[in-house]
Amino acid sequence: MEKYNLHFFIIFVFLFTNVTTPNNTAFDSIENKLDEVMITATKTKRVLSSLPLNASIITSDQIQNTNANRLSEIINEELGLITVDDFGGVKGIQMQGLDSQYTLILIDNQPIVGRSAGTLDLDRISVGNIQQIEIVRGASSSLYGNEALAGVINIITKDPGYGFTGSISSSIKTHKTIDNNINLNFGNDKFKSSLFYNHFSSDGYDLDASDFLRTVNKFENSTTQLKLSYLINDKFEIKFNFRNFTQTIENIASSSLSGESYIDEENINLSLVHQIENINTRLDIYFSNYFADEYLNDENGNLHSESFFDQIIFKPELKSEFRTKKNNTIVVGLGNKKESLNRTYFDIKPSQNSIFTYFQYDFNPSEKINLIIGSRFDNTEEYNSQLSPKFSGIYKFNKDLSLKFSSGYGFKAPEFRQLYFNFTNSTQGYSVIGFNVVQDVINQLINEGQISNIIVSLDNFNDKLKAESSFSLNLGIDYQLNSKTDINLNVFNNSTQNLIDVQVIANKTNGQNIFSYYNINRVSTYGLELNSDYEINKDLSILLGYQLLYAYDLDAQKAFENGEVFARLTPQSDAFRLKKSDYFGLYNRSRHMGSFKINYKNPKKRLSSSLRIIYRSKYGLFDTNSNNYLDKYDQFVDGYFTANTTLIKKFDKIDITAGIENILNYKDVQNISSLSGRIYYFKLKYNLNQL
Amino acid sequence: MKTIKFLTLLLMTVGILSCDDDDNSSVMQSVVSETVLDIHAPQEGGQGAPISGEFAKFDFQSGLQTDSETDWDVGFRGTTIIVNGGASMGMDGEPERTGEGGAYIFNGLMQEVIDVDTALFVQDSAEGLAIPTGSGNGWYTYSGPPTYIISPTPGKILVFKTRDGKYAKMEIVSYYQGAPETPQYGVDESRYYTFNYVYQPNDGVTNFE
Repeated sequence: MEKYNLHFFIIFVFLFTNVTTPNNTAFDSIENKLDEVMITATKTKRVLSSLPLNASIITSDQIQNTNANRLSEIINEELGLITVDDFGGVKGIQMQGLDSQYTLILIDNQPIVGRSAGTLDLDRISVGNIQQIEIVRGASSSLYGNEALAGVINIITKDPGYGFTGSISSSIKTHKTIDNNINLNFGNDKFKSSLFYNHFSSDGYDLDASDFLRTVNKFENSTTQLKLSYLINDKFEIKFNFRNFTQTIENIASSSLSGESYIDEENINLSLVHQIENINTRLDIYFSNYFADEYLNDENGNLHSESFFDQIIFKPELKSEFRTKKNNTIVVGLGNKKESLNRTYFDIKPSQNSIFTYFQYDFNPSEKINLIIGSRFDNTEEYNSQLSPKFSGIYKFNKDLSLKFSSGYGFKAPEFRQLYFNFTNSTQGYSVIGFNVVQDVINQLINEGQISNIIVSLDNFNDKLKAESSFSLNLGIDYQLNSKTDINLNVFNNSTQNLIDVQVIANKTNGQNIFSYYNINRVSTYGLELNSDYEINKDLSILLGYQLLYAYDLDAQKAFENGEVFARLTPQSDAFRLKKSDYFGLYNRSRHMGSFKINYKNPKKRLSSSLRIIYRSKYGLFDTNSNNYLDKYDQFVDGYFTANTTLIKKFDKIDITAGIENILNYKDVQNISSLSGRIYYFKLKYNLNQL
Repeated sequence: MKTIKFLTLLLMTVGILSCDDDDNSSVMQSVVSETVLDIHAPQEGGQGAPISGEFAKFDFQSGLQTDSETDWDVGFRGTTIIVNGGASMGMDGEPERTGEGGAYIFNGLMQEVIDVDTALFVQDSAEGLAIPTGSGNGWYTYSGPPTYIISPTPGKILVFKTRDGKYAKMEIVSYYQGAPETPQYGVDESRYYTFNYVYQPNDGVTNFE
């Protein structure tokens, strides 16, 4: 901590000696929580504090206060959400103990595609033009359909405003991580436009110098976003939103093999909005394409291997919102989603069409009660059609106390990979085959004499692979203890079923296995989230958060209960039978997570600073004692703290930000690739406002 | 590699000595309980290529590794285990099965296999081995990245019928030379079996007491 104090001091000295304090001009208005409006929870604009759902908002102020460049950095500081390093170094999100493939990520209300083995890389998303991040925890398929099993994260980018405004910023971090942003905005009564450009690059780093591989390879990416809107008349408005992301990563596989990974992503949305009195109708036509290509060359520059992934989604959706005289709202929607994927290891180019319709009734039976009921129906050919109902309600005892309840159904359709994969590992010789192509591929392998033994009968592949599904419950209390203290407690339970796992379906004559996908696992996650917000005075506030989490595979739990799981401490010692209480739960889940944040603002000096400390208790990454389960005799990753600090000083046109991430310099080279040690950063922002 | 044999525990057949009834005139032999260290079971090929090479053969009666073409009970090659009974699976280098051996896997602790369930014995055949191959199917678990370690799955007891119809139970405890506590990929030599076994040398006796 001594070092931290020193750095902090240096920053302070630097600022106070170089800065002349401007007059008492209006500083950032203190964010009033009651005014926070969210769209994600209901697809209508609703005040956050009156919502029955377990929802939260990360404001642009908070983003600025953390000096985050990418979405993953913000998520990591949000209680109960952690980023998990998945295959290929991509960062996914874990929400209420559910894996990253079960959280739907939206940008401006539209889904982002391109999941590498199920994970959507949060580092793909720049936060440079974000207005707010809306988070809904709990199954939300009743509005969003596929993937919204654990919850939804909706990234709302800044809408263009009036006049000509803009900003340019540049920040540099340790590892030569450079983030440059340009925001330009022009608008009048009829026409509004904004242009955002972000360029992000880093040299990466290497935590283990003993091999040729780098922990994070050198990369660069850029994001461009153009938003246009035009008010045709007092009833019609047309909106256009274009976003492009490209990324190039150096790819070093060994001393002799190197190449590049490349991503090119486009999201285009065209909307027509019609507003008359109490009816708002909106047509969205959304197109997205995610293209990724990866190659490796040998020492002589000859191509060694190449793989690609090209996903397209096209989704028109019509939504109407009726507001009754009693201020109740009815939302109905209808749409069609067409998805296709062309990639390596597929024998065909699969596509999938789903028609969906939804409704929602949001009403107030009394002044103290708000209820939301709704449902969505998704009809598809490739998996069983889904009906996703929801019910939620809030009861306001008085202005200080309210009780919230929300329940809902969520699902995740089988991915194309789980249906159509035909992959054989070239060095090991094992194969992974998608559910829908098992019969064809196995029969072909039988004819070629490559199968020695069939373990799972091919008849099991006559039906469809079922969608993974979940039923979630959230029960919360919002309580304002006094004018300075808010407390929010939420208890959650997610019961999932039909989770898709891999199993061995046949043995090959080379001694290797053939794997395919199947529905089996039932997973249960439950726990509580506690948030408290304490305003010491108008300049200083403290936020405390705690999450308790239990995440179990119910079949594994049963195996422990039945005494079918054993362990041995050393090869020399006797094996013994494990008890139910010895089962730790799912991999990569921490039982306890905590956050402590302290924010300081000095409007007079136009200064703000924050210190955020995040805790994560021990978790297991692998089964280390070979019984195929995570039990208390396995090796765990130690629990740890990370601490980050930011200091912002504003001048007339210039904002200066400086800070330190991972002040405690915590590292676990073996287990945590995302912590590279202490990181320093410095950022300059020039505001073109009021030109 | 020579087999090192340790006599860790010799269970006296107390049951026989204290037996009141002299219904059996011939002297019963004691049940043998031993640990065998580092049976080397190399193989050629693998990782997708055809596997070949001789099996390391073990004989319960002598408690030793053997080169005999006929007097063996269990064969080891890499992670593959065969018994001296049944038919060839068609692998390269398989010895001829001349005996009436078989095997099954019991899920539990070594001391819980009190009586052999003769109905469960399976022999090797063209369709598969009595001890199935592959991680998680038979006796071992392969950790995959980042440790790449093959470990005997605790609670998997291999119950054998020997070539001449006697019974034995076996618990494999290590696949690495010297049975290190935490074997390391690239450091510790693999394909060295260390196992505990209990052998019932008396004809027709299905228990291990």
